[in-house]
Amino acid sequence: MAWVIAGYALQKQQVMTPKMVSDKRFKLRFGLRSKLFLLSSFLFIIPWFGYQYVWEMEKYLRFGQEQTLVGTARALATALHERENLFNNQASYLPNVEHGKDLYGYKLMQPVQLDGLHSDWPDFNQRTHFYHHQQQLFATEPLSLNFKASVGKYDNYLYLFFQVVDNQVIFRGKNNRSITNNDYLALSFSDSNNQLNRFIISNKKSGWISAFSIADDKNIPEPAPHIQGNWLLTPQGYNVELRVPLNNLGDNIAFAFFDVDKADGEAISAIGSADPANAESLGTIVVPSPEIERIVKGMHYTNSSIWVVDQHHRMLASAGSLKSANGVWNVKEKKLNEDERNSLWYQFKQQVLLPLYYQVLTKPSTDFIDQLYDEQYLKGSHIAKALTGKATSQWRLTTDKKALILSAAHPIFINNQVHGAVIVEETTNGIRTIRNQALEKLFTVILAIMSLGALAFSLFASRISSRIRQLSNQAELAIDKQGRIIGQMKASNSNDEIGDLSRSFTTAVNRLSEYNYYLENMSSRLSHELRTPIAVVKTSLENLSLQTEQQTKTDKNISPYIERAQTGINTLNLILTNMSEATRLEQMLSTTEKIDFDFNQLINGCILGYQQIYPKIQFTFQSNLENSKTKPFILHGSPEHIVQLIDKVISNSVEFSADNIITIELQENSHSAELFISNNGILLPEQLSDSLFDSMVSLRHKKSQEDGKKSVPHLGLGLYISRLICQFHQGKISAYNHQNPNGVTVHISLPTNV
Amino acid sequence: MTKRIAIVEDEAAIRENYADVLRSQGYQVQTYANRSTATQAFNLRLPNLVILDIGLNEEYDGGFLLCQQLRAKSATLPIIFLTARDNDFDTVSGLRIGADDYLTKDISLPHLTARISALFRRQEALKQPINDEHITHSGALTVDSQRMSVTWQNKSIDLTITEFWLVHALAKHPGHVKNRTQLMSDSKIFVDDSTITSHIKRIRKKFMLNDNDFDCIETVYGMGYRWICAPKTTSNDA
Repeated sequence: MAWVIAGYALQKQQVMTPKMVSDKRFKLRFGLRSKLFLLSSFLFIIPWFGYQYVWEMEKYLRFGQEQTLVGTARALATALHERENLFNNQASYLPNVEHGKDLYGYKLMQPVQLDGLHSDWPDFNQRTHFYHHQQQLFATEPLSLNFKASVGKYDNYLYLFFQVVDNQVIFRGKNNRSITNNDYLALSFSDSNNQLNRFIISNKKSGWISAFSIADDKNIPEPAPHIQGNWLLTPQGYNVELRVPLNNLGDNIAFAFFDVDKADGEAISAIGSADPANAESLGTIVVPSPEIERIVKGMHYTNSSIWVVDQHHRMLASAGSLKSANGVWNVKEKKLNEDERNSLWYQFKQQVLLPLYYQVLTKPSTDFIDQLYDEQYLKGSHIAKALTGKATSQWRLTTDKKALILSAAHPIFINNQVHGAVIVEETTNGIRTIRNQALEKLFTVILAIMSLGALAFSLFASRISSRIRQLSNQAELAIDKQGRIIGQMKASNSNDEIGDLSRSFTTAVNRLSEYNYYLENMSSRLSHELRTPIAVVKTSLENLSLQTEQQTKTDKNISPYIERAQTGINTLNLILTNMSEATRLEQMLSTTEKIDFDFNQLINGCILGYQQIYPKIQFTFQSNLENSKTKPFILHGSPEHIVQLIDKVISNSVEFSADNIITIELQENSHSAELFISNNGILLPEQLSDSLFDSMVSLRHKKSQEDGKKSVPHLGLGLYISRLICQFHQGKISAYNHQNPNGVTVHISLPTNV
Repeated sequence: MTKRIAIVEDEAAIRENYADVLRSQGYQVQTYANRSTATQAFNLRLPNLVILDIGLNEEYDGGFLLCQQLRAKSATLPIIFLTARDNDFDTVSGLRIGADDYLTKDISLPHLTARISALFRRQEALKQPINDEHITHSGALTVDSQRMSVTWQNKSIDLTITEFWLVHALAKHPGHVKNRTQLMSDSKIFVDDSTITSHIKRIRKKFMLNDNDFDCIETVYGMGYRWICAPKTTSNDA
């Protein structure tokens, strides 16, 4: 019977299932791949660097643009230096100008209809001047008159618009000879010969104006048909819109409204820009100069917006629009033909890449809104500075902050006097477009590089980590839970560090397996080697005892010693036999043929046998099979060995049973037979539950000593043999503790369909 | 006439111990330490019984070689292997090349001498006419306890002494379960369970050589074995 049975354990320890032991706290795993990805994220510096570089480039471009713009301004100023005839009007030489008196004729872009309505005057309200009591020429009664005036220039005419507020509009009497006994407008200007021309507009009714030329030497006013216009009655008073041909117009002008409140009465008050009767007191007028404009026009091909102002900030000429003033950096997008438009790359770029880029970039807007220069008075520190004689440039944002505008101003010198300035303005849209195109290209390239790089990196990282994982899996598979070498590792052929690692692992596993083999065979080899000397001792002792028996049967002094020696040598012999039992079993198993047998019958037979062998023990058998006693349950294997296996486990259970009850439970599953053999008693120590079925593991010495039993020494081969047999049947054996009552259950699982 | 026994054993102490015991039993014992000296001596004259060790000095299988040579010379010479090798493979090989018994060195001397005398007795009995007194019939089985021979369905089964004793012990009380310990004491061997199992297997195979349907030895799981063929006629059950 089973002499050597490996033991369970003795120390009472808190029970922990292996699962609980392996249930480590979850930790965030920071694998090789993630590390590589982290490192590769430094690559993101490259696009940042490129972005910075493009910005730097833009800065230089802007600087260049500034220089170009200043150059443009200088060039234009150079064309205007010392051209006195361009600035020969008196206003240009005035030390200062007086608003309302010194007039500015705005350049009208569209023809104006002489209808007395200001709706066709652009920006009428901003471009008017309000005349009231400060500009009154005389007043005999409280003032009941004021008016707004606006001056414009279109083609060859000077246009004037007056919006008069008058409590009482008095027209000239039907048959009045006098043209002054009613509300009238006096208009005076010097002609090109610097002669004073005086006119009075005095209407009999609203409608087409009647203008009269007045000369000092003649008392009779003469109609002046070259002054045309319209007199329109309004609820507040009346509007007068008229035009004067420019060809006979000098630089000085004055106008005044005379208010009459009674029919055929005398004028009671007058308000005007200056006294029209006095040639000396006339104000000046400036109109955009066609000569300068011609010069400037030649420059507007530079894609700049150009202004020329006189020293009083009044615009003399302008060319170009800021909206199209992209500067010399105006980049035309290459026109693509149909094929290119339909190409996949173009579609991809338009639909995916560009929307992505313009999350970051801003498209320069041609749709910006900027403050408008008052042509009558151009403001700006750079203009002011230029008019003191210094060329400057400045950057400013448009009022809606959509575009950045660069303006440069350069003074115009005449006789070492500053007589005006050239202002050139450009948006930075051209540069921004260039920058955007550069960034687009940069982004595309970087995106491509990064995608490729990321792909390569991830492939590399995956390859490395999969190789290492494979190696780790191999290493894990090579050694089982019990530390036995169960497989060979395949050495890698690759010539790198991981290959080296794999080869060292393989070497280590091979050496370990040799050592393991040596250890596993040591007991049988030892028993074999010891057998001969023991046989020597044994036979000698037996001879000795035989001789002693023959010589004398009375000498009892010697025989006890011989007997004891024989007992010792027999025990030693037994140990040796048991030591080689496992090896012999392995050899036998390798030659054993498997047959079909009735497992049910086997178990029942065994239990009958155990009841004879262990009369004190009560065996309880449970089965989930119907008619478990009769129905055959066919297993394929070696019944003798299965019996041997059950023997080992039962004798173990018997030994550790505290209450002399052993429960045997058989469960038939679809693919396996599950046998549970449990006894109540001491629990297994936790650290031994895995290695219990290993060779040479035993913890029973203490108990044997405690019980004082004279027992055969245990080598811990019993359960190892059980495992060998289970493995031969491709089954599994495991032992675990159960509670209430405490004890140990051995679970044997044997597959049925082998 | 004193029987001459030759012991071929390389270990001097064991050799002399066996020799001493056998001499004290009245046998004439010759001892040889290696194969060559033994072969020379056997060429001159064959002993009545040979005890062989398998491993002889450097010759790992020296005993097997010697056994083959001896068997070639005499088909009836009793040969016993007495060796430290206890594995199944060696046992099978030893018996297959014609040894009459295969014993391991942990056998006690009395058991050894019992076996030797049994072998001589069987040899003697073969020369004598069959004496019905020693013959037991149990169904198709006939056991001649004197000749230590067994016939099944009137065909002789060639068993070793150990095997004969096992069959004898089982067949003596058909239907009774003999556990392994009982079988071991009956067959005068002291081995572990698996050796008994392999002996039983060998016995079954030997019977099956003659009768494919032989299934008289039943394994009673957990207890042992029993002879289950009911005796039809029993004669001379003295």
